[in-house]
Amino acid sequence: MIVLARRLAQLVAVVLAVTFLAFTAMNTLGDPLFNVVGFVAAVDCDAVEAGEIEDISGQGGTTLGDCAVVAEAREEFHLNEPLPIRYGRWVGDLIRGDFGTSFKNRMPVSTVLADRLPKSLLLMGMAEVFAVALSVPWAIAAAYRANRAMDRASTIGAFGMLALPNFALGVILFYFFVVKWQIFPSRFEDDNLALRLKSLVLPALTLGMPLAATYFRLLRTDLITTLQEDFVVMAKAKGLSNRWIMFRHALRPSLFSMVTVFGLNTAALIGGALIVEQVFSIPGLGRALVEASIRDDYPVVLGATVVIATGFVIINFAVDLAYSYLDPRVRRES
Amino acid sequence: MATPLLSVTDLQVGFATERGLLRAVDGVSFDLAEGQTLGIVGESGSGKSVTAKTLMNLLPSYARVEGSVMFDGRDVRAMAAERERHFWGVEMTMVFQDPMTSLNPVKKVGEQIAESLRVHLKRSRREARDDAGDLLQQVGVPESKKRLTQYPHELSGGLRQRVVIAMALACSPRLLIADEPTTALDVTVQKHILDLLDELREERGMAMILITHDLGVVKGRADQIMVMYAGRTMEQADTATLFSEMRHPYTEALLETIPRVDMASHSRLVPIPGSPPDAVDLGQGCPFAERCRYCSASCLIDQPSLEQHRQGHACACHAPVGTDAGAAAHAANHETGVTPAGLDMGTFATAVGEKT
Repeated sequence: MIVLARRLAQLVAVVLAVTFLAFTAMNTLGDPLFNVVGFVAAVDCDAVEAGEIEDISGQGGTTLGDCAVVAEAREEFHLNEPLPIRYGRWVGDLIRGDFGTSFKNRMPVSTVLADRLPKSLLLMGMAEVFAVALSVPWAIAAAYRANRAMDRASTIGAFGMLALPNFALGVILFYFFVVKWQIFPSRFEDDNLALRLKSLVLPALTLGMPLAATYFRLLRTDLITTLQEDFVVMAKAKGLSNRWIMFRHALRPSLFSMVTVFGLNTAALIGGALIVEQVFSIPGLGRALVEASIRDDYPVVLGATVVIATGFVIINFAVDLAYSYLDPRVRRES
Repeated sequence: MATPLLSVTDLQVGFATERGLLRAVDGVSFDLAEGQTLGIVGESGSGKSVTAKTLMNLLPSYARVEGSVMFDGRDVRAMAAERERHFWGVEMTMVFQDPMTSLNPVKKVGEQIAESLRVHLKRSRREARDDAGDLLQQVGVPESKKRLTQYPHELSGGLRQRVVIAMALACSPRLLIADEPTTALDVTVQKHILDLLDELREERGMAMILITHDLGVVKGRADQIMVMYAGRTMEQADTATLFSEMRHPYTEALLETIPRVDMASHSRLVPIPGSPPDAVDLGQGCPFAERCRYCSASCLIDQPSLEQHRQGHACACHAPVGTDAGAAAHAANHETGVTPAGLDMGTFATAVGEKT
């Protein structure tokens, strides 16, 4: 219970910290209004009214009427109030479950998130499933044959997979499986779950392969270390088979580094798969976040930030739980 | 001796290294009868642990093994671990030096004892757990039922070693190899563990190989003793004979390194000067010559072979302790103050057993 409360406090602190930073940055480094009403936002309306600037209405410039639009928009989005108050207002709305409205098409941010998040989560889940399904058997096979031909070849393979950038791998897969052999659809299809899963196979592979290579390296190294432990020798002396020793003795204490990195990667994938989303035309959270950042659409950016920060905290909590499952010596401390 | 349970003949174990072949074990032979205890004594690197690992099939695949190992008429070396599922761990098991590391830290103690029973004797989970509880009780672990669900880090060193012993005994082995079972433990616990091993051996009629660097450990417990040095057998005899008529200077030197009750208080223990030789480059003489106060010129060029001077007592030495040759060699070295190998006899000036 105490653990849960502490985690909740941590979550609140993290969300407040990151959203405050994002809020301040987006409002001081860019002008949100620019994207609401267009170029007029840049015009000094006070000067136009005072007649200091020539009214160039009808020449593609601004008019006094446009200045009224600007004033109206400022009013609507509370842009004329000081920053701290606006941030406070945003937090207040958030507590009531209101994420605000996007500047782009005046859609509620919660609708945008509800549309984008499931796709991103599905992609993340599939990528991690692929990565784990590939790396664990791979690492086990390599650890048995440490430093022999198969192990060396797979180390080279893993470095290759790590070195190949996401977009390159994505484009290569896209070319063969979509353009040439037409096995998978060229864009995200949302009609039913089967189609959704099918159209996410390639993007998930693109994300999952470098992850698999990372997990493979970590798990292989830890397994090799564990297999040299005295308790493994003892298990052999007990006449247990290699398979029994691997799965019931060596694997669990070797999972630590992998679980740590798994947690970090998973959290990063929630909103960080933008390149892959771009290559495979998936309307995910990553793309929404990039588009919104470019447009200074800060309600969307903040909404996404809240989701991602929450994801990070939850996944880290899960990783801590995994530690105490993996090693009883951790349990006493918490 | 009746038909031996374990018969090792001319065992040789080598490891190819960059500098050449490392002879870890060189021509070791012994017989061990059912229910008997063999003590193997020697310093680190003398080949005693490698011998044990060879018997247990725990050597890495690149080790080169020669010689024969017969267990109850079966050729142990011809067995492959993956096919002989129920030999190691069932007929023959081993207890290791460090109970801190030989238990899996993330598995419950009960599971670790029960798994042998499940794998080898096909016990169900529940039966195996009950048996594990009984085993813990037999090895003197208090509150054995509760211990089953504990993890190794929750137990003391002595208790852990008892757990390791329970693990080894799970399938009622006929031979137990104990490799320095008490070295990592507190002195106060050591005797309890050794006595426990002895009791269990007696109760179960099990044979035991007790490996140690401490002659004192095997004195009251082993039926036979084999003293090893640089992979070779230096002296081999039944325990009573070895202690009453020890012939090898190395055995004598080993004995002087341990305190005895009959010593005057504050008498100094004598360490063996120098360190064991490089097992890759042993040269042609006796491996112990450089550290031996009985060393004669022939020891440096001619390796003494293991010879029985009477039934049941063999020794590999040109100038054994307690013989005319030994006395003469010692006297000559004492005269010149330095052995033919260049060792200063002054090193032994305070030796407890020094005979002049």
